[in-house]
Amino acid sequence: MEKVGRNAGFYTAATIKHAALIALALVAVFPIYWMIVTSLKPESEVFTSSFIPLHLTFENYANAWNAIPMGRMLGNSMVVAVIQTVMQLLTSILAAYAFTRWEFRGSSLIYGLIALTWLVPFQVIMIPNYVAISDFGWRDHLAGLIVPNIASAFAVLQLYNAFKSYPKTLIEAARLDGASDWGVLWRTIMPNLKSSIASIGILLFITSWNDYFWPLLVTTKLENTTVQKGLQMFISSDGNMWGALMAATTIASLPVLLIYLLLQRQIIDSFVKGGLK
Amino acid sequence: MAYKKTAAAALVSLSLLASACGNAGTGSNAEDANANKAAAGNKASTVSNEQVTLKFYSYNLAIASQIPGTEKLIKEFEEANPNIKIDAIPVPSTDINAKVQADIVAGSAPDVAQLTFDGLDFAVNNFNAKPLEDIVPADELQSNFEGFSPNGMKLGQLNGKTYGLPFTFSTPVLFYNAKLFEEAGLDPAAPPATWEQVKEYGLKIAEKTGETGTHVGGATGGDWIIQAIIGSNGGQALSDDRKTIKFGEPEAVEAVQMWQDLIKSGANSKLNDGEAIEAFSQGKVGMLLFTSALQSSFVTASEAGGWELKTAKMPAFGDKPTTPVNSGSALFILTDDKAKQQAAWEFLKFATSERGYTIITSEIGYLPLRPAIVDDPNYLKGWVEANPLVKPNLEQLDALQPWVSYPGANWKQIETILNDSVSKAIVSDGDVVSIMQDAQTRAQALIQ
Repeated sequence: MEKVGRNAGFYTAATIKHAALIALALVAVFPIYWMIVTSLKPESEVFTSSFIPLHLTFENYANAWNAIPMGRMLGNSMVVAVIQTVMQLLTSILAAYAFTRWEFRGSSLIYGLIALTWLVPFQVIMIPNYVAISDFGWRDHLAGLIVPNIASAFAVLQLYNAFKSYPKTLIEAARLDGASDWGVLWRTIMPNLKSSIASIGILLFITSWNDYFWPLLVTTKLENTTVQKGLQMFISSDGNMWGALMAATTIASLPVLLIYLLLQRQIIDSFVKGGLK
Repeated sequence: MAYKKTAAAALVSLSLLASACGNAGTGSNAEDANANKAAAGNKASTVSNEQVTLKFYSYNLAIASQIPGTEKLIKEFEEANPNIKIDAIPVPSTDINAKVQADIVAGSAPDVAQLTFDGLDFAVNNFNAKPLEDIVPADELQSNFEGFSPNGMKLGQLNGKTYGLPFTFSTPVLFYNAKLFEEAGLDPAAPPATWEQVKEYGLKIAEKTGETGTHVGGATGGDWIIQAIIGSNGGQALSDDRKTIKFGEPEAVEAVQMWQDLIKSGANSKLNDGEAIEAFSQGKVGMLLFTSALQSSFVTASEAGGWELKTAKMPAFGDKPTTPVNSGSALFILTDDKAKQQAAWEFLKFATSERGYTIITSEIGYLPLRPAIVDDPNYLKGWVEANPLVKPNLEQLDALQPWVSYPGANWKQIETILNDSVSKAIVSDGDVVSIMQDAQTRAQALIQ
């Protein structure tokens, strides 16, 4: 009897938990669903509250694709986001390794300075950066978008914490086996911190993919800019083009979704680990 | 060691890839640099038939629906002036001031920029905008603006000089839903002419149809409609000598009290502007005072939704004259180069010509400042007949008042204070007098 009662209690609790999670998942997914549905509605239906498009159309996708150089913009966004993410990961892995592995004079000062730059708002450094980029002749070039962002204070701080939690004895053991610093970093630490690096990587990718203001300043021609600037073109104080905007936004969110699906395992691992700490 | 090499190679190849991708863009930077050098060397040169390229920042080009009309305007100008090329660059209106400022610092300022009227003072004093009077001989200026709306000329003037030529702008009009009017037992042919009637009709619509009676837009996102409402009650946002903030004075306070009362009584919705635009598009709002530029999207929505869209002039306070204020933008000449200034004048002339305003009105969706072209079959006659909704808007041009820009570097903060205070006053039960006087004191302190 007692066992049955406990089982019943367990099932009720699980049901309540799952119901709550399903409800929250619906809340999270609904805006995406609404975006896709609106993108498939003809203009006359955009303002109706119907949950499915009554007359399915791909017209909005054609409009969005033709109104702006969408293909070029997506390509640019992809190049910028991929290179920027890889560079940021590389620089922050090296920095995090240096901070955890070696004790050198001024290391905490340097770490503190890096942490401080994270707190400086973009608006403060925007104009000096822009002047520097202009002097290099990188205005309207993708290099102007990427180079100022090859190091990320956020990634350094995050990875430093991940590296710090890695057992020092394992590193020392590897050293005793004759591994060089590169060997320790790439063969001992990296394989074990893959999931942390992947989850930081996707955050960096999303930040870079969604960046709007810096591309706005640096690029002028639509062919040389990123897709976020393109999305803005369907929004104005004189009326939004909802159908085309939702179609363009759907297209623009696909790459992020895809990368998430590819790295899903690692990201969940990292969140679980982070939660257990 | 092998790892070291691989990693180093990866770093190098990535940075190479970065710069290669960068170079894959157009060569416009090199062009910029050359143009700048040419500009420096050419300062003393006069008008010639040499090829001139004008760097033009436009926010219409950053709005997908307005790109075709704006490109057409530029193309026709280039065809008529083969020695002038327009290097048109899209910049969203909300970011255009920041972009121009950054480019001035970086030494790559645009030659011509489309800037909103609320930034007029700042454009003159900080962007070094050039007055037309310094570029164009007086008689040419005068003959060019024959037939131009006298009120229209004033929009871009400061201290007696013309810095900006009105380009794409609109006025506040009262859109209304004829179907809801009929359902509420109101006559769609007799729209409200005063704010008192707006309240009365709004309450009736809300009561009879269960939909929203009315919405007055413009409490957020720029203060032009607020200026129009305050002005219609005999008030001012800024004194004529441009030294004293006046939106805490009794006339202004009274105007805001009327607005608060519209909402308190239930005639006006508590929606924000974006929600109100959507609700109106869905046929769920009786009346909406907002920018005339929304007209074409409302026409589409009303046809799709099976209701009739109508328009009326901005309502008045009793028998006081209304003062519709324009929103939108003017073209400013920023270049120091004499040859470019002349080329820019040619472009401004074309954009504000009969043909220019015809394209602006019929294909971009704004208003003409040459009243005669409305009745001219060569220009807008046919279009106005096909689009009669634009008429109340055209009639308002006679009473048009400039959107006043605040002096000094804090202009945007002052505008934000007014927007925020009005928003706070109208959606609360708060004491409008103290809210607006407090706003006036804070804004006054920001004027240098």
